[in-house]
Amino acid sequence: MITTEIVLEFFSNFILILGLMFVFLGMLGILRLPDVYNRLHATTKIGTLGAFGVMLSILMKVGFTPIGVKAITVGLFLLLTAPVAAHMIGRAAHRHGVDLCDISVIDEYDKTYK
Amino acid sequence: MNSLLLDLSLLFMMVAIIPCVYRVIKGPTIPDRVIAVDAMTTVIVVMLGVYSYVQESVFFMDVALVLAIISFVGTVTISKYLDEGVVL
Amino acid sequence: MKRYLFYSIPLALMWCFVHGSVTIENFIFGMILGPIALRPFMPLFKVGGELSFKDAIVRIPKQAKYFAILIIEILKANIMVARIVISPNIDIKPGIIAVPIDTKTNGGITAIANTITLTPGTLTIDISDDRSVLYVHCIDASDPDGVRTSIKNDLEKYVLEAFE
Repeated sequence: MITTEIVLEFFSNFILILGLMFVFLGMLGILRLPDVYNRLHATTKIGTLGAFGVMLSILMKVGFTPIGVKAITVGLFLLLTAPVAAHMIGRAAHRHGVDLCDISVIDEYDKTYK
Repeated sequence: MNSLLLDLSLLFMMVAIIPCVYRVIKGPTIPDRVIAVDAMTTVIVVMLGVYSYVQESVFFMDVALVLAIISFVGTVTISKYLDEGVVL
Repeated sequence: MKRYLFYSIPLALMWCFVHGSVTIENFIFGMILGPIALRPFMPLFKVGGELSFKDAIVRIPKQAKYFAILIIEILKANIMVARIVISPNIDIKPGIIAVPIDTKTNGGITAIANTITLTPGTLTIDISDDRSVLYVHCIDASDPDGVRTSIKNDLEKYVLEAFE
């Protein structure tokens, strides 16, 4: 049974490092990508999955104790609500008059509500 | 070894907040700032989760849960205000 | 009455998770609290038709298949966006594309919009007034017809199976 613990420990550390990398890359995406809509891609996808990975690794470290169960609840909540928040911000930004960046090639939403 | 990894992860998340702060201060438009605050909340939730494991205390995880909920409600409210000019 | 019981089960599970210990006492207490929390929000659910426990159980294998595909797509999406972020020169062609959909029910539209947001390179912005066209921001919009066919063939099929 000692091997199971070592394998679980290894995997939880691996997922922790992977999740932290993803969160960091998401925040780097906020800095580097050109306009609001592309930044939304970075935060909703990478940031959320990174946070879920960190919470999953905490669950693997502590098992089904109150800390672990609450951690996975936080992770699932982030994973469920991030698309809704991204959808709301994107719609509000477009109707508020934020233009797409210069390298955009197509905008079929522009003519539907003006 | 394990506690060193966790301390380093907290430090790494502190570094990850810096781009968000830059975007909140500099960001050309209001939606940029909303996204940056939302992302900052995600990083703080991750920090609280790791810190809850370091301290072996369940209360930090409660704080993380409530912060995630408040961040979602706040983002939706600000988006609706930008979109329609009213909140309710 | 049946509907209250039906919606109380996920609420009771959520109560157990938020409380931190999944036991039978917590589940029963959540089942007691569920209808009280549901009562003020019931007029918002304009659900048509009968819902039954049998339908919900029959759908479970299809939904499991849908979630398996969703997890693979999420991992692909993350690797793709991460590669764009760390590449030295950001070379993207973003744009907003109108994608017609066949899904009609509220639950189906919500599911497909969230699925599109979590899959590689696409993000739902809005739905048209007659609820037949989704506007999707795409990080590589050089081929609009390819995006439309890939959404229709790869994603919408599984969503229709799982939620309608």
